[in-house]
This record gives sequence, structure tokens and C-alpha cells, in this order.
Amino acid sequence: MVFTSVANFVRSRGPDEFWRKRKIFKMAAHYIGRSRNCYSLAIRSVHRALVFATKGRALKKQDLANLWVTRITAGCEQHDVNYHVFRESLSRSNIMLNRKSLADLACWEPFTFKALTDIAQKRALEEGIAPPKGNKVLFVPKRGSQKKT
Amino acid sequence: MSNSHIFLKSGFIRTPSQNGVGRYVCQLQRVVLKFCKNNGSSRGMREFVESELINFAKNNPGVVVYLKPRRHRAPVISAEFLNGDKQWVSCHNYSKQDISKWLNLLRTQSGNTTGFRLRKLQHTDHPSIQGPWTPYTFKDPAENLAEYPNTELSKPKIQLKTATDELLEIFNSVQISDKKGVE
Repeated sequence: MVFTSVANFVRSRGPDEFWRKRKIFKMAAHYIGRSRNCYSLAIRSVHRALVFATKGRALKKQDLANLWVTRITAGCEQHDVNYHVFRESLSRSNIMLNRKSLADLACWEPFTFKALTDIAQKRALEEGIAPPKGNKVLFVPKRGSQKKT
Repeated sequence: MSNSHIFLKSGFIRTPSQNGVGRYVCQLQRVVLKFCKNNGSSRGMREFVESELINFAKNNPGVVVYLKPRRHRAPVISAEFLNGDKQWVSCHNYSKQDISKWLNLLRTQSGNTTGFRLRKLQHTDHPSIQGPWTPYTFKDPAENLAEYPNTELSKPKIQLKTATDELLEIFNSVQISDKKGVE
């Protein structure tokens, strides 16, 4: 007996399955264990990875901005200037340097950075630019070793 | 996304043996243009050979150009460099401008860079001109000769007014005003 309707029960899901899954496996090639070879596990990990990548783009910008602010603050506090006073004074002196450039100068060209802090101090003195309330840094009197002529 | 799934060797941009700092040596040794005389995918290649190839060869006397007409085969540029690298560029259905741009890239490359992921597109051997910041950049060198224990250097960094000082001040100001009152 030949059962011809058995063939109708085969449901083909489409010809693209291999390539659809390949797109996922390519991104999961460096995962450990079954997550790189089994589609159901890989798809979950890959989706999470893509979500993290999306969120990470904004976080990276925030993290680097914070890093630069930390470095600029460290640089200008060494010369007795508050970070906010420094940036305000520079912008009023028409020195349009962003945080990335200022941080690079503070790390790699310290004397240029000192010149910038000098400009900022003079301008702050002239125009009375004060640190924002609640942000006051206590005045650190320079002892002998801190002064370098 | 991370680049771990790409499995390429990665590194920073380099100029091998400081090419260009003194004398510039073109790193492309020879270039082989293979094409079919008849097939449509080689049309751009044939046009390039007819119009722009001679200019390229004249302008780059240090590069050897070979032409290989191969029937029923796809058009290809095969490049060999001075460091032994080989690069194979398929020119299927490329226009002559595309081929000219690819040849220009091969001419200006320092080797086969296709399997290499550049971590940054800039590199410098001298990131600092004034010298990078160290904790000693703005410190007085006299501190090197300081003898310890040292009362001056051992004082606390921030010395606010003590309570005793404030009381003394108040007392003195009251005394002065008393004296004035008496007078």
C-alpha cells in the first residue's frame, strides 16, 4: 500500500533557513560551548550582545567624557584652579578647546596646559568668576616643594 | 560590537622601515592584470588597458606591469609586494575607474593589509613634545635634597584656623574695644 498523503504532512519552512541562521552564527563564532553551534542558544546570546552594543555606544561617550573631566580637574587643581572656573574662563577668553583636547594637553603637553591655567586665572580674577556653590575646593597653601619657578 | 567575531590579526598602523620619512620607496613590486578578451565582466578591465594603463606604467617605472589575456576567465588584479605579500583583487564587472582606484590603492599600500584589523587609524612615535606629565614635572627639585624628618614638609597640607586661634582673636578684639570704651 502506498500512502500518498503522508508526503503532505512534511512542512518545509522555507529555503532561507541556512542563511538566516548563518547570519547569527557568524556573530556568535567566538562564543563558548553550545552557544556558538546551537541556534536557539546562539540567538539569545547574540540578541543580548547587540543590545549591549547599542547601550554601550552612549555609555562609552559618557565614560570617556568623565575620564577627560577627571584628568583636566587633576591638571588644573595642581595649578590652583577649579575645573568649572577654568572652563568658564577659557570660553570667555575665546579659547574653544573641548575636553578631549584639554585632557590630551594636560597629559602630554603639561607646560601648554599650565599656560592655559594662567590665562584662566587672570581672566577669572578680572571678571570675578567663582566656583559654583557647593563645589568649593579648599585653598591648598603651597609649601616649599610645591613651588617651582 | 566587539571585534572578536572577526578573527583578524589586529595591530596599530606602522610604516615599515620609516618609508617616506627619508626616501620613499614604492612597495608594489609587480602587478598582473588578467582579463578575458571577449567576456562582458572584463569590459572595464579592457577599457582600462586601452586608456589608462600606459599612463600608470609611465608614472610608476618601479612597478612591473604584466598583462595576461586569458579566455573564459574572470578579470583579476594580482599584486606582489617587496616584502613578499601577495594580494588578489577580483575585478568582475568593475568599471575602469574602479580598477584605476584599486591600482592606486595597491601602489600606495605597504603590503597586503586585507587580513589586518587596524585598532586606530592614527599612530605617532612622538606623542609628546614638551615631555609627558610626571608627578615631578611641577615639583621643586630642591625636594630631592630635603633631609627627613623635615618639619616644613611634614606639616598638614590644609591648616585651617584652630579653635584656640579663633578664641584668641575674639578675646583680643574684645580687649581692644574695652580699651577704646575706657578711653
